[in-house]
Amino acid sequence: MSCVNLIEKERNAIINPLKTCQPLGAMYAVTGIRRAVPLVHGSQGCSTFVRYSLSRHFREPSEIAVTSLHEDAAVFGGRRNLIEGLQNVAIRLNPSLIGVITTCSSEIIGDDIIGFIKTAKKELAEKIGEEKTEKIKIVPINTPSFVETHLKGYDNAVKALIDHIAEPSEPNEKINIIPGMVNPGDIREIKHILGLMDIEGIVLTDISDPFDSPLRPSATELKPYYPKGGTTVEEIVDSANSTGTISLTKYAGSGAVSLEKKYNVPVELGPIPIGVQNTDQFLRNLKKLTGQDVTDDILDERGLLIDSMADLSSRYLHDRTVAIYGDPEITAGMARFVGELGMVPQLVLTGASNKEFVPDIGKVAKETGVEIDTMVGGDLRQMEVYLKDNPVDLLIGSSDGRLIAKEAEIPLVRIGFPVYDRVGYHRHPIVGYNGGIHLIDLITNTVLENYYEHQHWKLQQ
Amino acid sequence: MEPKLEPIVETFKSREKHMCVKGEGLSIPVCDKASLPGTVTQRTCVYGGARIVLMPITDSIHLVHGPIGCAACTWDIRGSKSSREDLYKKGCSTDLGEKDIIFGGEKKLFETVIELRKLYNPGAIFVYATCVAGVIGDDIKAVCKKTEEVTGCRVIPVQSEGFQDHNKTKGHWIGCDALLDYVIGTREPEKTTPFDINVVGEFNVAGDFWGFKPLLEEVGVNIISTITGDSHVDEIAQAHRARLNIVQCQKSSNYLAKKMEKRYGIPSIKVNFFGLEQTVNSLREIADFFGDPEMIERTEKIIESGLAEVEHKTDEYRERLQGKTVALYVGGNKAWSLVRAFEELGMGVMMSGTKNGIREDYERIKEAVRDGTIIVDDANSTELARLLKKYRPNLLISGAKEKYIALKLGVPFCDFNHDRISAFAGFNGFVSFAKEVDASVSSPIFDLTSTSLRGD
Repeated sequence: MSCVNLIEKERNAIINPLKTCQPLGAMYAVTGIRRAVPLVHGSQGCSTFVRYSLSRHFREPSEIAVTSLHEDAAVFGGRRNLIEGLQNVAIRLNPSLIGVITTCSSEIIGDDIIGFIKTAKKELAEKIGEEKTEKIKIVPINTPSFVETHLKGYDNAVKALIDHIAEPSEPNEKINIIPGMVNPGDIREIKHILGLMDIEGIVLTDISDPFDSPLRPSATELKPYYPKGGTTVEEIVDSANSTGTISLTKYAGSGAVSLEKKYNVPVELGPIPIGVQNTDQFLRNLKKLTGQDVTDDILDERGLLIDSMADLSSRYLHDRTVAIYGDPEITAGMARFVGELGMVPQLVLTGASNKEFVPDIGKVAKETGVEIDTMVGGDLRQMEVYLKDNPVDLLIGSSDGRLIAKEAEIPLVRIGFPVYDRVGYHRHPIVGYNGGIHLIDLITNTVLENYYEHQHWKLQQ
Repeated sequence: MEPKLEPIVETFKSREKHMCVKGEGLSIPVCDKASLPGTVTQRTCVYGGARIVLMPITDSIHLVHGPIGCAACTWDIRGSKSSREDLYKKGCSTDLGEKDIIFGGEKKLFETVIELRKLYNPGAIFVYATCVAGVIGDDIKAVCKKTEEVTGCRVIPVQSEGFQDHNKTKGHWIGCDALLDYVIGTREPEKTTPFDINVVGEFNVAGDFWGFKPLLEEVGVNIISTITGDSHVDEIAQAHRARLNIVQCQKSSNYLAKKMEKRYGIPSIKVNFFGLEQTVNSLREIADFFGDPEMIERTEKIIESGLAEVEHKTDEYRERLQGKTVALYVGGNKAWSLVRAFEELGMGVMMSGTKNGIREDYERIKEAVRDGTIIVDDANSTELARLLKKYRPNLLISGAKEKYIALKLGVPFCDFNHDRISAFAGFNGFVSFAKEVDASVSSPIFDLTSTSLRGD
């Protein structure tokens, strides 16, 4: 029998959340642009706590400006704060782009963001001249915190960036990649694959260097501080001329769809290339859009993944049960991959409420021939309760599940966001064939440590 | 005419007076002003201030009434340790959505409180108001009152709408007010002693409280409650019967001590268990307060054996740290309370600053630091980077957001905030402190940050 069993959350309270609000996703997206500044139009906590969360996960600085709304703004609107804030950022930091990110309070107050930006530009032009003002792109990004999740905020940000900046000119033979909210290691792996296929890519947006940057005091830009790397504004402009767009997540593909509608850039939405078949699909998409052939090098990498699966899965992993929690695209991808390994994705849980999720998990259930329990719009308390009656062999998800794992005495393989109680996880990919190899090593080592070591297992086994 | 002083670092005109040098002019920077919009401020919101004061109450549920982010980005980030319950570690939210914004969130809050009470039977449920709760005008007090009647559990409103002030200190006060209005004085202790005290403004980060709790017990005082580290709400409820409040974090909790003095006539003394000299002074002041000759004698013995125990344990570190400089950029209290501890290690504080200081805080810093020390208020991240680059301290003491700014510039960093692992308070805490500071300052990594590989 294979089916999906949807377990409803029967309470209002969120207890130990698996999601956060939209602005975080937008701050993440804007950080992936070269010399860009996210400017949060809200309370100081809206930027500060997100900076804390991002720094804790990536172990990197996270430079996010805020308009510091206070009580008077709640009554009279945040007009002056935004207009002054934009000018302060522009004059002091000389950025290539400012992403104006709204919050719950500025959305409810009903601030006219577009109007304020116009005024700010006018005032700015009087101070620093028209030409300099025009060079700084200012993009309004609406991210009402009380609608959906951080992933929607990411999606809104990428779409706003594309809608405001992309401009058609000459075709460029590049492929746009919308990576979703993944780690630097994942984006580097995607770029590696593009390199092997001899395809030039535009990553919308590329957080790989900004969130994993070298310590080189002599090379650090101080006037002002900007990390190395990131997608350039010119690349975003050029994204209208690409051969195609692949969004690695269909849960945040609005920007890609917009490029197709406006500029006829063909689009492929998802799935995230986690595991063998999803990565195969990604390569097929690349081939379809560019006409480039899959090279021998790539087939070798695929072969290395299959080789390690053959070495390990039936011996150590087969039939082991797993609970996976996190963002919808990543959990769906992981569920499929553990199925490929012969494991059982017994529970797949996401904090988001996207309706595509259950059918997605249904496909995995059909493919693997098992029954999968799933929770949508869930929280970690739901998983905690579930595990009491339905224990599993392994948990796969963020550090936020660490206490549940400890309490239930189930080993936890860390993926997704945030991971703060282990190091290096942002650096290693989980996507592509190489990501698969990394994952199978992680999973198998965790299984060995927890299920074999105490039996005095021998290395040669 | 006064000679024009060069700005301490290049910044906005309006920000220049937020930095000064002790001994030159006023020695107190302009402070307690709204941050400039458009800067990368290191400050947070009023909700954050209230939350850090109350969150260490371990047997309570801390429910955030707002959209999910306010709870999602702050649950379980306070490094306060518990010896008993871990309910305080749960991240609870009403997760306000679009419908709630339009129709109000009171009904959802009501149901959520009832659910949480059923699930956990906590000592109390603290309900935090966020910006949204304020903007849509939910009457949190009324819902708390009603749910308290229905459940019989303490349900305590915390009016901490994030945007209501530029200064997180306001949030500390709101947190304290919640305790004053709804908790303290609501329960009588089974017995009282002449030596009953409260430890106020100690949050047991990394287990700091456990570093000096045994010392207090040896001195012979009876601790009614800690406000709020490793505490239960019923203990704080009895705090009004103490004879003395000792205040460790003066930034967040002087307010509470002053109000308790007014309301219950409980005097307070400021203590500081960071550093040997300060630990000794604090113990003596407590004993002197009670004036009991036996207690005074006992305290001297405790001090003697405490100092003897650690006597040579920091020698190695002090030798390496001699003459090194440190910059402090913290929430408040540590900007003055750590100065002597660093001097005991042979280090000089070259800069001290706070994110949320008010005038009385800077008076304290001024008293604590030597002439020539830079004093900064609300330095944004660009200013902080410039200060570090220009004055190159051997160490920055700050929190998680500042850590990576410093490290990227090749400036060693030591966490003295929520993410700290070792307890630094008391005699033995000082040894851990010395060890950890040395591990940062003397790390061989920082000799490797520059290379001559390319002749640069």
